[in-house]
Amino acid sequence: MSNTGAVGPIARSPLLLSIPVAVGYIPLGTVFGFLFVQAGGAWWLAIASSLWVYAGAAQFMMIPMLVAGLPIPTIAAATFVINLRHVFYGLSLLQSLPRHPWAKSYMVFGLTDETYSVLTTLPPNTPAATRVWVTLINHVWWVIGTAIGALIGGQAETSLAGLDFALVALFAVLAVEQWRARSSAKPLWIAIASYPVALITWPAHALLVAIALCVLSAVLLDYLSHER
Amino acid sequence: MNDNAYIALTIIVMGGVTFAIRALPFLGARWLDKHPQIKRLGAFLPLSIMVLLTGHTLLDIGRSYGGNYTAEGIAIAVVIALQWWQRKALLSIGVGTLIYLVMRNVA
Repeated sequence: MSNTGAVGPIARSPLLLSIPVAVGYIPLGTVFGFLFVQAGGAWWLAIASSLWVYAGAAQFMMIPMLVAGLPIPTIAAATFVINLRHVFYGLSLLQSLPRHPWAKSYMVFGLTDETYSVLTTLPPNTPAATRVWVTLINHVWWVIGTAIGALIGGQAETSLAGLDFALVALFAVLAVEQWRARSSAKPLWIAIASYPVALITWPAHALLVAIALCVLSAVLLDYLSHER
Repeated sequence: MNDNAYIALTIIVMGGVTFAIRALPFLGARWLDKHPQIKRLGAFLPLSIMVLLTGHTLLDIGRSYGGNYTAEGIAIAVVIALQWWQRKALLSIGVGTLIYLVMRNVA
């Protein structure tokens, strides 16, 4: 790397860059680990989930789905739908990925909302190694948080009645943020209309049916407004 | 939720699906260009899903405590209001859960 005429803080430390993410990931990872174990899951599976799935909303979603014992293809479909927004992310980072195949694959794997937002703020001349380290350190925060939560959840002898409300609150927070970022109010109305229909037609699988109805409505609406 | 094999398999599959989505733009940038509806659905659906998950888990928790959904309604209103005005996820979740705990265990 040449220093000739280089001005400004190019070589910012990856650890420093990941601090804002740590502030969110450690407590939220703790909530995930705690709720996972409190729902009856093994502590090491909570950690495995954060190591291997590494997608906040989808991991929280898996808790009620696993409790309900939904079939795996159904959970896979729900994961697909909820993570579909990540399709946006890769395109803007296409040029800045490292050459090494393993480093490249890992960065694609670790492209969460938060990591994406950090990576896109880096100047173009940021070394590839810095980007890889930021991705890795963010992942570590998430796993550490999960481990702490799983540990606390496993120690808690009697579960306090009502603590499972944290999961509802988390979904509500994500819904408010999605509402803020919306381009139309339709997704809200479709969801509100789908759920009662699902509850009446197939109460045992209301969530699944409602998600399917939403996907169908979205595809239909999209077709009507774009294909002609 | 004690069937470890079922949970482990779910984790493996979920990880695979998530990775595939994140890798899609790198593997098939051209295909994606030809199918802009995928992107539009990705922007459209998360709000629906989050609203469904909120409603579903809220009804579920109300049912499991056999109440009349008053405590759930108050607590969720607090969470939404806090998140709307303050935008601090942990604050909204923490305060909402605390209020719900008090209503469940004290009142």
